[in-house]
Amino acid sequence: MNPFRAAIAVARKDLLSEWRTREMVPALAQFVVLALLIGNFGFQIDSRSAPSIAPGILWLALVFAGLIAFGRTFAAEREQSSLEAMLMTPASPVAIFAGKALAASALLILCEVVLLPALSLFFGTPFSAELVIAVLLATIGMASLGCLFAAVVARVRARELLLPLLVLPLWIPFIVAGGQAVQSAMGLPGSYDQAIGLLVDFDILFVVLTSLAARFVLDE
Amino acid sequence: MSMVVANGLTHRFGRELALDGVDLVLDTGEHMAVLGDNGAGKTTLLRILATALRPTSGRLEIAGLDAFRERRRLRHYIGYVAHSPGLYPALSATENLEFFCDLQDVSRSRVAEALEALGLASVAHRRASLLSRGMQQRLAVARAILHEPRLLIFDEPDASLDADATEVLGQVMKGRTAVIATHDHALANRLCPRTLVLRHGRSLGTATHLRVVR
Amino acid sequence: MNRLEKAAAGAVALMLIAAAAIFFYAPTDYLQGPVQRIFYLHVSSAIAAFGCFAVVLAGGIVYLRNESPRADRYARAGALVGVVFTTVTLVMGMLWARKVWGAFWVWDARLTSTLVLLIIYAGYLLVRRLSEAGRQTARIAAVVGIFGFIDVPVVYFSVDWWATHHPGPVITSDALPPQMLATFLFTMLCTLVLAAVMVVIRYRIEMLMDMKQLIASGAPLTVAIPRRDPEPAQ
Repeated sequence: MNPFRAAIAVARKDLLSEWRTREMVPALAQFVVLALLIGNFGFQIDSRSAPSIAPGILWLALVFAGLIAFGRTFAAEREQSSLEAMLMTPASPVAIFAGKALAASALLILCEVVLLPALSLFFGTPFSAELVIAVLLATIGMASLGCLFAAVVARVRARELLLPLLVLPLWIPFIVAGGQAVQSAMGLPGSYDQAIGLLVDFDILFVVLTSLAARFVLDE
Repeated sequence: MSMVVANGLTHRFGRELALDGVDLVLDTGEHMAVLGDNGAGKTTLLRILATALRPTSGRLEIAGLDAFRERRRLRHYIGYVAHSPGLYPALSATENLEFFCDLQDVSRSRVAEALEALGLASVAHRRASLLSRGMQQRLAVARAILHEPRLLIFDEPDASLDADATEVLGQVMKGRTAVIATHDHALANRLCPRTLVLRHGRSLGTATHLRVVR
Repeated sequence: MNRLEKAAAGAVALMLIAAAAIFFYAPTDYLQGPVQRIFYLHVSSAIAAFGCFAVVLAGGIVYLRNESPRADRYARAGALVGVVFTTVTLVMGMLWARKVWGAFWVWDARLTSTLVLLIIYAGYLLVRRLSEAGRQTARIAAVVGIFGFIDVPVVYFSVDWWATHHPGPVITSDALPPQMLATFLFTMLCTLVLAAVMVVIRYRIEMLMDMKQLIASGAPLTVAIPRRDPEPAQ
């Protein structure tokens, strides 16, 4: 069967479920706003220091929102024991994985729709296309890794404990390159083009690797 | 012709020996009940027969194909209902089935037929979370027959099915090979001419119209 | 003494000889003084750790291909020993850094990526601890081990890719006097032998633990003897 059709069906199912319940996106949006608030209290922020602090807060908020979003995707399927029903169909596990990753990144992007303008609003940092592109590129790779390891830990007892331990170290490349891109988008020194090139490379590398690995993680 | 031929199916979960060398032959069209206490290995056996679980050792052929090498192809032949229905609570009955039509690669027109067959037509647009436990179980059965499988595998369908559900199950099983795990000896006798009794992961033998004595 | 004990004694003896070479044969560094002697074991244990993680990678790939329990046991052994050697590398590096850079830690690409390496494989060991031993866990761990290895080349090339405090490779750049080079190569060889012996011993321990678990599950240890009762006639 056509793997794209299966992946789209899975993604649509997840997004439809989210649309019906509206659980994740409002929770994530609230979470990132709270993260900005805590950042505001934790740092002494004025117009001069904002560009050097805001990128750090952005990535912290995004990384932890991502952990919540991706952790949920497979945990919910496990709790409802619907994952097995899905895997019992002839659809390939890689297509199912891709569909889940697609839906989870869509949710994270919705959360970024709140996060990025709020960041500019609260900290007075420039809001630009460069900023959006850098964050979106990082989201792709983070979603593929995040979903893979969410599927990995879904079978384990202490999944909430393990997911950050496994995923955060592997997300570091995206945070390094994305961090640099966002910093230069906010007017700090550093090459934007080089960072974006690196992000694209990482995206390709990790999307390919996670697709290869998905079969072993989801089968059975 | 034999639909299922199993030899020495053994499965181990870590320390636990869940299934210990079960042999089984099931003819096409035959209906068999698997009886046994909790923890006797019923679910493990059924999941292996459904190719959802690979046994630690042993051989399994379904419809003449090696069940683990031809797994993906066999999925078209098997309809499996697990102990818990595994539905998406936020989606309606119809949407749940439509999603599985897409994954099974069958036409969505099958949805209405399957809902009709299980007497769910009146709740087609109700969210799965708002259905009673028995209706959820029926919906899971409807999902398992979307692709017209030849082999049906039900894990304790009686746990939450209502009274006239036995009749519906009988209808669904007609013309198909079926394996049902259950506690309910009466249900087993009504639906299945043949019975397999498991204890501690071992087969205590199969019998036709077994009169089980406690 | 059995073979493993002999191998262990041999490896320890080699390490003692290497220590003697480090302290008595190698000349004192002109600029840094005696603290430079950290270099020999610091770099050697980093290389040994890379070797151990390569074992995890290879074990993971083999396991995913044919589910060989031996490959998985080697992966488990490699991860544990690799974590030990990465820790040694980091601790020795920090001591050295305190002396020559004036701080135990700087956020430099090589230090950071090495720390990430330690976290990744510590995570690998945690996965194994937190989930029931079995095929499922072994597959999951194999995936973690394979992805984790991505960081190894990052650590190695970090000094070329980014501007770092940490010096680049001195061996290939011809910067070492011959006595230092000889000491380093000898220490590296001894450390690699030690790592290999540790992996083999750990493999043995993992095997005994697997057997213990198998016995606890009541499985027959020799596959040849059938234990199954005959199926009664229908």
